[in-house]
Amino acid sequence: MLLRLDFHSDVPIYQQIRNQVVAAIASGELKPGERLPTVRALAEEAGINMMTASKAYQLLKAEGYAATGRREGAVVHLPEGGANPETLEGLRLRICELRLAGMGKEEILALCGKIFDGEACGK
Amino acid sequence: MTLFWALVSWAVMLPVLPIVYSLQKNECRPKKNLIAGVTLPYEAQEDGEVHALLEQYRKELKAVCLGMLAAVIPSLLFKSVGLFLTYYILWAIALAAVFLIPYIRCNRSLQKLKVERGWRQSRETPQVVTDLKAAAEEMRRPSLWWFLPPFLLSLVPLLFDRSIWGIWVLDAALVPVFYLCCRYLYRNRAEVVDEDSGRTLALTRIRRYNWSKCWITLAWATGLFNLGLWLTLEHIWLCMAVILAYGFTGCITVIRIEFRVRRLQEKLTADSGRGYYVDGDDHWIWGMIYYNPNDTRLTVNARVGVGSSLNMARRPAQIIMGLLLAVLLACPLCGVWMLGMERAPVELEITDTELTGSHFGRHWSVALADVAEIEVIETLPRLSRIMGTGMETACTGQFSSSQWGRVTLCIDPRVGPWLLVKQNDGELFLFGASEEGRTAETAAKLR
Repeated sequence: MLLRLDFHSDVPIYQQIRNQVVAAIASGELKPGERLPTVRALAEEAGINMMTASKAYQLLKAEGYAATGRREGAVVHLPEGGANPETLEGLRLRICELRLAGMGKEEILALCGKIFDGEACGK
Repeated sequence: MTLFWALVSWAVMLPVLPIVYSLQKNECRPKKNLIAGVTLPYEAQEDGEVHALLEQYRKELKAVCLGMLAAVIPSLLFKSVGLFLTYYILWAIALAAVFLIPYIRCNRSLQKLKVERGWRQSRETPQVVTDLKAAAEEMRRPSLWWFLPPFLLSLVPLLFDRSIWGIWVLDAALVPVFYLCCRYLYRNRAEVVDEDSGRTLALTRIRRYNWSKCWITLAWATGLFNLGLWLTLEHIWLCMAVILAYGFTGCITVIRIEFRVRRLQEKLTADSGRGYYVDGDDHWIWGMIYYNPNDTRLTVNARVGVGSSLNMARRPAQIIMGLLLAVLLACPLCGVWMLGMERAPVELEITDTELTGSHFGRHWSVALADVAEIEVIETLPRLSRIMGTGMETACTGQFSSSQWGRVTLCIDPRVGPWLLVKQNDGELFLFGASEEGRTAETAAKLR
């Protein structure tokens, strides 16, 4: 799985890492139990600060997308208990924005279908 | 400077010319989707204009190579060692610089063509691409145990011969330096070329393995070199053979590994660049100087081959590069210093308490109370230098001869006779001034 970090983006680097890992899990590129690099290795690899890499992992762990294995360090994990309220609230807000942008229900559903099928997921 | 020594000096230096030429020419062969430092898609390999640019590059390389070869000839006419050395060093510096000109020209033309053909990846800002699978693979660093035996081996001469301890310590210190280079100059970063993680892992393992192999071989060669040097110190030709063997082993190791890694990179990425491929050109000035302010690390792996490079966006890298350039540009001063040495006379002075030989600011003294015996020498025996200066106009420092063993020299070998002084502790000194009659006069005074 390739992580593409844009240092000129308004989205913080740790958030970019988190978003791309989540997208990769959703698309099946990263499978549950698959080992993730250590914080040090990720920082070395991407040329980022250790704190940034650590922050991304903390976020992934807090949201349940990563777990700390006994031997293998951080591993990919599927969150339990369905979508969290914050995600649903975020989705509601995005749908409102799309409606205000002039899109109809059918269009929005078709777009969601495309995203769900992986056509635009993480790309 | 005799023609023989001039030819020997060039025989040592000239092999660098075809090596640099081959390395530069090798840049034309696509590897990791790179041609002459420019990331290009697979289709570019078949492009007529790319071929024409590379053909032009090869022609320019050949011209530079022949030009550098022709530049050797004037130096064979120099009589002065200092002048020869100055020219020799300037030639070596020029060698590093002139080969870059065709490379940069080719790189810039290819970059221009890349934009014209729309081969540039469509994005507004440069990205850093990381392969999570490859990054997750644990890197096994070479163990310290690989370096410890050669280090101990290189210290063996120090146990038996402390007269030139500086040389033994300096050589032995190279082994820990090699260990540190092996450990800290390597940037633990996967060789991402495209989305194929298997390819990335294979390329990364090849680089890691060969990087360690290179430093371990150099460490062992250094350990054996110190031992060999100590064992052959009294036999000039054997000693020369050991020095040559060491230099040869070091160079061959590095060159072989570099070309092997390049060959493997070429083979493994032969079919890459058809779909998505990583384009890091935005971070490389002229395809060879890494400049990435967003990269917090000081070092980065060279784009092709096994080497490392510095991130010139970081202040320490700029300081290191500045110092290296200053040292490089100061090197010709060695030749100028040699010229001064060559022209300075060897002086001999006797006072009530000591006998002093001087040359170019250096002095060798013997207290008269310590003099056991003296002898005037009419013909110089065969002397081999251990440490010091050995020129046609002056020989100073530690020498050895089969007749006397170790002897400290401060003589002008052109002007005899010479004065051999033996101290009470058995240490030998050979003095001889540049001024005619001065040595004989000093010997008479001593008697």
